[in-house]
Amino acid sequence: MERAANISLAAWPRTRSSDRARLSTRLAVRLFAVILVVSAGVSAALASWLPLQVSILTVFLFAGPHNWFELRYFLMRLPARFGRSRNFFAVAFAGIFLLTAAYLAMPALYYANLWSGSNWPDAMATWNTLLLLWLGALVMMRSSQSSRRDWFWTLPIVFMLCAVNWLQPQLFSLAIVYIHPLVALWFLDRHLRRTRPEWLRTYHRCLMLLPLLIAGILWQLSRTSSLADDNGLFWRITQHAGADLLPNVSSHMLVSLHLFLEMLHYAVWIIALPLIGTTGALWNVRTIPLARRRGGFPKLIAAVLVFGLFVVGLLWFGFSVNYAAMRDIYFAVAIAHVLAEAPFLLRMI
Amino acid sequence: MKRTFVICAAALLLIGTAVFAFGDIARPKPTPAPGKVVFHTGLQIVPDSKVYEARLQISQETLQRIREATANTSANTSMTQRIMQSATRTVMAGMFMFLAISFAGVWLARSTQRRGQKAIAGALLVAGMLGAATVIVRANAGPPGYYYWQKLPENLTKGQGTRGGLDIEIVSGDDGIKLIVPMKTNKAPGEE
Repeated sequence: MERAANISLAAWPRTRSSDRARLSTRLAVRLFAVILVVSAGVSAALASWLPLQVSILTVFLFAGPHNWFELRYFLMRLPARFGRSRNFFAVAFAGIFLLTAAYLAMPALYYANLWSGSNWPDAMATWNTLLLLWLGALVMMRSSQSSRRDWFWTLPIVFMLCAVNWLQPQLFSLAIVYIHPLVALWFLDRHLRRTRPEWLRTYHRCLMLLPLLIAGILWQLSRTSSLADDNGLFWRITQHAGADLLPNVSSHMLVSLHLFLEMLHYAVWIIALPLIGTTGALWNVRTIPLARRRGGFPKLIAAVLVFGLFVVGLLWFGFSVNYAAMRDIYFAVAIAHVLAEAPFLLRMI
Repeated sequence: MKRTFVICAAALLLIGTAVFAFGDIARPKPTPAPGKVVFHTGLQIVPDSKVYEARLQISQETLQRIREATANTSANTSMTQRIMQSATRTVMAGMFMFLAISFAGVWLARSTQRRGQKAIAGALLVAGMLGAATVIVRANAGPPGYYYWQKLPENLTKGQGTRGGLDIEIVSGDDGIKLIVPMKTNKAPGEE
């Protein structure tokens, strides 16, 4: 009897604390859902209402910082020692470097009058093919690292995408522009699965709102007249969204849709992922494995991050001086971060 | 032998000259270049007893879209035409399609799980059935254009308007604007 009384007395505070923890988790999940839904709704409304103005402001404010957060995240995810993943990272970094260089070389050669640009679609198709083959190689290498993974089925898909790319290279490139922002949502999914599994179901439910919002934007704006792209900057924004390739589609709809996806992309990298603690304490270099390990490079990592901040400042300065030109430069160079996402996402799967 | 050879040669010569004999026939009239559809929109025909001249009203927005469409006629060529413009791209696309199908076959063959194979076979079967069903029912395509225009004479008699789809086609020549309305008659062939 005495023992029974002791047990119940000991269990009582533990039960109360577990209830409290469950309640706080439920509150956190609800808050998370509210933030997601409100952010997506506000983004969709702003993107539909003033697409050009909000696009200019969004890229100005968040393009640079989101790249810095991605850099911080990639450094965080880089293993202290590559070990069995040495070849995987070698192919990944070689691909990022060579594909970025080739991507930048095309407009550079054109503007230097060294290339007429007459076979631009073929050059684009070649670059897209190299990108797809690189992704296929990474997938196969990742697959071979574990006997549980058999991702051979991705190869026919990669080749089929290559075929589609050769049929419509410019539309394929445009598809990358629209699909890339969604990759951030996949990163968030993988991290929630690891760090906040109790949030995952709510996140998936919120994701179901995304097609509805996209359908709403398309339905609402498909019949609107195209945006007046009478100045160089507005013209660049509409071209980036594919107005030239899809002349019978309202450029208002295209810009709004692209801007909405971009805003989600920036929100995930700048707010969501740091909030759930995937980047560690921002200023603590010791949270990065390459800096933390014995014989690591804390000073080098710190220098890289500080240099990154300097580049963000430089980008803001550039946007202030000549927004249109800086936007072109940014979106050309930004292909590096698009490419870098692939190997790190594969490491998460 | 010699006689046979001469007869054959004469016959061949006769057949050969027959080709040149067609030279007397008048040259066929060159077929006019087919028009190019640049834009699809809607049209409403409204009878009005108060006006004395037929009037074509185009909204500012539609006119702007027509301008854009005519300015980008090269982008409106069909997909086949665009692909056929570049042999390199066609060859590359074909090669990658071949690789895709080959690797899909290898993957199916090396897939040892019977359940997986059955699932894939089931998925392929369903996809095939859906494709066939789509072809049969023309997916969710609306009724053909002439369906809307069938009631035009009746509506005109009643003094009502008729609305239907319209392709804007650019044709050569200087014949002004012509409206071709699709009308299906129920008369038997040869019946006037």
